[in-house]
Amino acid sequence: MFFSTLVIGLVLGGTYALIALGLTIQYGIARIMNLAYGEITIAGAFFVFLLVSSMGLSPLLGLVLVVPLGFALSWLLYGIVFHPLVKRASHAGQLEIDSILVTFGLMFLAQGLFTMFFGSEFAGYSWLQTPVNLLGAKIAAGRVLGLLIAVLIGGGLWLAMQRTRWGVNLRAVANHPEFAPLVGINRNSAARVAFGLGGAIAAAGGAVMSMYQPFTAVDGGFLTMKALVIVIMGGVGNLGGALMAGLMIGVVEAYVSYAIDPGLTLAATYTIFLGVLLWRPKGLFA
Amino acid sequence: MFEAKNISVRYGKHLALDNVSLSVGEGECVVILGANGAGKSSLLRGITALSPRAPGGSVHYCGQDISDVPAFGIVELGIAHVPEGRGVFTKMSVEDNLRLGGNPVRARGSLNERRDEVLEMFPKLAERRRQIVGTMSGGEQQMVAIARALMSQPDLLLLDEPSLGLAPIVVGEMFETLKRVRDTGMSILIVEQNVHASLNLAARGYVIEAGRIVGEGDANTLMNDPVISEAFLGH
Ligand SMILES: Nc1ncnc2c1ncn2[C@@H]1O[C@H](COP(=O)(O)OP(=O)(O)O)[C@@H](O)[C@H]1O
Ligand SMILES: [Mg+2]
Repeated sequence: MFFSTLVIGLVLGGTYALIALGLTIQYGIARIMNLAYGEITIAGAFFVFLLVSSMGLSPLLGLVLVVPLGFALSWLLYGIVFHPLVKRASHAGQLEIDSILVTFGLMFLAQGLFTMFFGSEFAGYSWLQTPVNLLGAKIAAGRVLGLLIAVLIGGGLWLAMQRTRWGVNLRAVANHPEFAPLVGINRNSAARVAFGLGGAIAAAGGAVMSMYQPFTAVDGGFLTMKALVIVIMGGVGNLGGALMAGLMIGVVEAYVSYAIDPGLTLAATYTIFLGVLLWRPKGLFA
Repeated sequence: MFEAKNISVRYGKHLALDNVSLSVGEGECVVILGANGAGKSSLLRGITALSPRAPGGSVHYCGQDISDVPAFGIVELGIAHVPEGRGVFTKMSVEDNLRLGGNPVRARGSLNERRDEVLEMFPKLAERRRQIVGTMSGGEQQMVAIARALMSQPDLLLLDEPSLGLAPIVVGEMFETLKRVRDTGMSILIVEQNVHASLNLAARGYVIEAGRIVGEGDANTLMNDPVISEAFLGH
């Protein structure tokens, strides 16, 4: 049981890690604290849900479609809402406060729209429910596939950030935005691309989540909070850190829910978070 | 090849640079001397649009009016700026910083040859390509900053007090390296408070005080100018 709980935790943590990656990119590079982040994830989940349940298409096709849509939506959102905030912000703290206020409003707006269109019931579909035997743990095939996709996207992104010109540029903006022009980087367009990329990952995370777990129109807030905890644990802008922290939170939740009580998982997450804030405020891996 | 005419930089109400004009010839090395707060950094930042220039004034480069080019477009034209305080990416490796220097399209074709040349000029960096720049000494970080600028294959190199805060031996080494850069035929505009070393490097210089140019001449004349000795050597 010890081992199968670990596997369940890793599967759960894989999705958390994926979702947190997008937030750490938006916050670390675009410097926007996006409280409506989880709503992009839920939008991605609803999109795939619609494709699967009303058109009978494969969730995998949904995943492929949702990535560019998530990018485009966030890219537009940046241009319409955040670009003016960036322009008028006199310093980084100002932008942070403004973006928190604006995205808090966007969160409620999005949740209202989702509820209007989809109601407040659980949405979901069943896909690849056949259990597979993974090192002694019996887990639905869909969940295992979800973990694989999360690892692939996360690993691919990490590699791209390390190796490609584009990734090195984004890391430079995360490190010292004020020096970016010295090496020919337009920091505003880099920020916009980073915000779009984060949105693409958020939507991909929603698509993956929908493959094995029902969700509601108002789940986004919890997702944002969980992703935020992971981002801070991993260190803002640190992709590897977010991956590790995401898996950790998944495993802790799995054990708490198995050994103590499923109702305590959120409490456990926040206890870890408090610990990190108090003792390692720059992240576990700083 | 480079000419700035009547440029001014203002921070709020404070006029840090007041109608300054200067030029740099092809392959020429020019120094700007001035005390702390004279406006030297503002001048370089105004040239590369890192600090917004006040309206009026113009910047011409290789026969082209570049007054409206944004800061991120400057290095693409062949003007590399090593700012005061180095401006390196401290959480990234030496390798990454050099790679960023090679960002401009003009430099991309010959990136590997360029890197080899630059590392040959800075052998210490070659041994430390994987080191995170923030963990290096001030002198080494300054080397990274200059090496990064050279990666962009510039025609004009702007250096803002490269010797600031370095140990005397390191300063000596750095000026030796700069001489080699100069001898490749690159045009250089350097801001310094190290009068002696920089007048040895440069062919010509300007003296700036309270945001205005108060003197100019060739290096020998400036070296023997009593006003300069008075202003910088404290006698
Ligand atoms: N970002 C800034 N905001 C306000 N004042 C500034 C700023 N940068 C420089 N100054 C002021 O402008 C003047 C010129 O500064 P600077 O160009 O840095 O001089 P230097 O490089 O010759 O030491 C100084 O009085 C300085 O205090
Ligand atoms: Mg200065």
